[in-house]
Amino acid sequence: MVPELRQSLFGVEFQAPVLLASGTCGYGREYAGLIPLDELGGLVTKAVSVEPRSGNPPHRVAETPGGMINAIGLENVGLDAFASEKLPWLRDNLARAHVFVNVVGRTVDEYAAVVSGLDDEQGFLGYEINVSCPNVKGGTMFGTDEAALAELVGRLRSETERPVIVKLTPNVPDIGIYARICEENGADGLSTINTFPGMLIDIQGRKPVIGNVSGGISGPAILPMGVYLTWRAATACSLPVIGIGGIRSGEDALQYILAGAHLVQVGTALFVDPAAAATVQEGISSYLVDAGIGSLSELVGGLRLPGHAQV
Amino acid sequence: MLVAIEPKAPDILSPIRHRAEVMANRRVATETWWLELDSPEIAGRAEWGQFVMIGFGLEHLAPPFLPRPFSVAWRAEDGRIGLLVRAFGVGSRRLAELRAGEHVLLLGPLGRPFRLEPGSRVVCVAGGVGLAPFLFLAGDARRQAFDVDLLYGELTADKVFDAGLIEELTGGPPIVWTEDGSLGRRGRVTEGLSVEGRVTVLACGPTPMLRALAGRAAREGFDLQVSVEEHMGCGVGTCQGCVVLGADGRWKKACTQGPVFYASELTWSPS
Repeated sequence: MVPELRQSLFGVEFQAPVLLASGTCGYGREYAGLIPLDELGGLVTKAVSVEPRSGNPPHRVAETPGGMINAIGLENVGLDAFASEKLPWLRDNLARAHVFVNVVGRTVDEYAAVVSGLDDEQGFLGYEINVSCPNVKGGTMFGTDEAALAELVGRLRSETERPVIVKLTPNVPDIGIYARICEENGADGLSTINTFPGMLIDIQGRKPVIGNVSGGISGPAILPMGVYLTWRAATACSLPVIGIGGIRSGEDALQYILAGAHLVQVGTALFVDPAAAATVQEGISSYLVDAGIGSLSELVGGLRLPGHAQV
Repeated sequence: MLVAIEPKAPDILSPIRHRAEVMANRRVATETWWLELDSPEIAGRAEWGQFVMIGFGLEHLAPPFLPRPFSVAWRAEDGRIGLLVRAFGVGSRRLAELRAGEHVLLLGPLGRPFRLEPGSRVVCVAGGVGLAPFLFLAGDARRQAFDVDLLYGELTADKVFDAGLIEELTGGPPIVWTEDGSLGRRGRVTEGLSVEGRVTVLACGPTPMLRALAGRAAREGFDLQVSVEEHMGCGVGTCQGCVVLGADGRWKKACTQGPVFYASELTWSPS
């Protein structure tokens, strides 16, 4: 029996539940030939802003226990070059995998300009709105301010018919509040979570390892936090959730799915092994076969809480 | 015995990801190991100055979690590649501990290689384990009738990679410099560089060494290619982690736009 991995979400069918996370797969093409992109659920591009951004000084990445710290600073080619140079490759080379464009801005108008600027282009399904980058000034502003988030999501909803997914920051006391704000203002889904802020110090030089001083922590070290926050977000609203954080195996992905995620994203694990996304996808299939489960969708949100649990 | 193979034309093939067996790992100087891996496909394609990402895979949570970039130091007809490993961090220390029969995860060959100009004399300037790319470049270039000098500097004699083995691998003796004069000539290896006639200078080593050479290249007007190092995430241009500052003020990715740059392509800020 071949288990059914397909799910209908955001008005389309996802052939598989694994996507590549924003910032870890460039604009897709960089991994062509190394990762069977069109056999995955999809990918999320590097963040796109209205103007090109140059990013932060090095070091931009370093290893941390069970993961890494990064402060790239949203370096990207900007809206025009993305549309003319990056998007055509995705349109021409991905037939089955779905593409979300990760969108970032300093103001509501900047986010809206990216969305309206891309909306008539071909080659992608929808947007993942980045309100949660810890590595630029004001990067988490929209993700930690309830009124600002409501305004942003509402505005973007009015700019596009395409799916709008909001990528939430873990750095809030109750992620459920932000999940509900997204739902109430017309978002189609959530991505949980972005990186945690962190810092590494070089004790010989008595200086920060990262050029930006602080950065975002990702990798297996954050898996339990990601699972928890995904569960909190998924139970707080009725939007489909994409689970992100430290996934490197089918078992890891299934924790997110049981917590309520429909899809998952694999990021940092790609740096350890470019085969990580395929490995996760195969691991999910193997689990379903072994457990005699016919369809992945049966497991979504299938967490069994003990009777005494208070949610 | 390692037998050199001829370089192939550059190609745009995707890098290869595979699990490679450790064939040998032996200490060749203080804190320095010569690591041989079974990797026929990478051996068949690696060009001068290209690198591999070497790691332990997704199951491995103990440091090093992320793979590390290493210059391909040698490639042999029997499908082995050689890496020169100096143990000074968690990643390199773990590589130093590898034993024959263990496996590592390799991704490569990666990056932009050194380029030689026909008819030009070649001077390789190696600082420490910056020697690595020149072990196969110098021999290949000599077989292609280039006139090659290999200047090799270390702090002290105990760190010097076996000069007899260098001669065997590269087809000629290196000119060894140590800063304390305990072996070869005394001083910094950059002092040994004399530039006369048509010459291409290739350099790999610590950033201060590259910076000093870049200053001379700018003043004296010779061609200098440098292999740079920076913390790296993916090795293939997706994470944009490993940037160095270009002469145009834009960040350049060491992994795909480098690691070899013309010195004139980069900004050399004072240390």
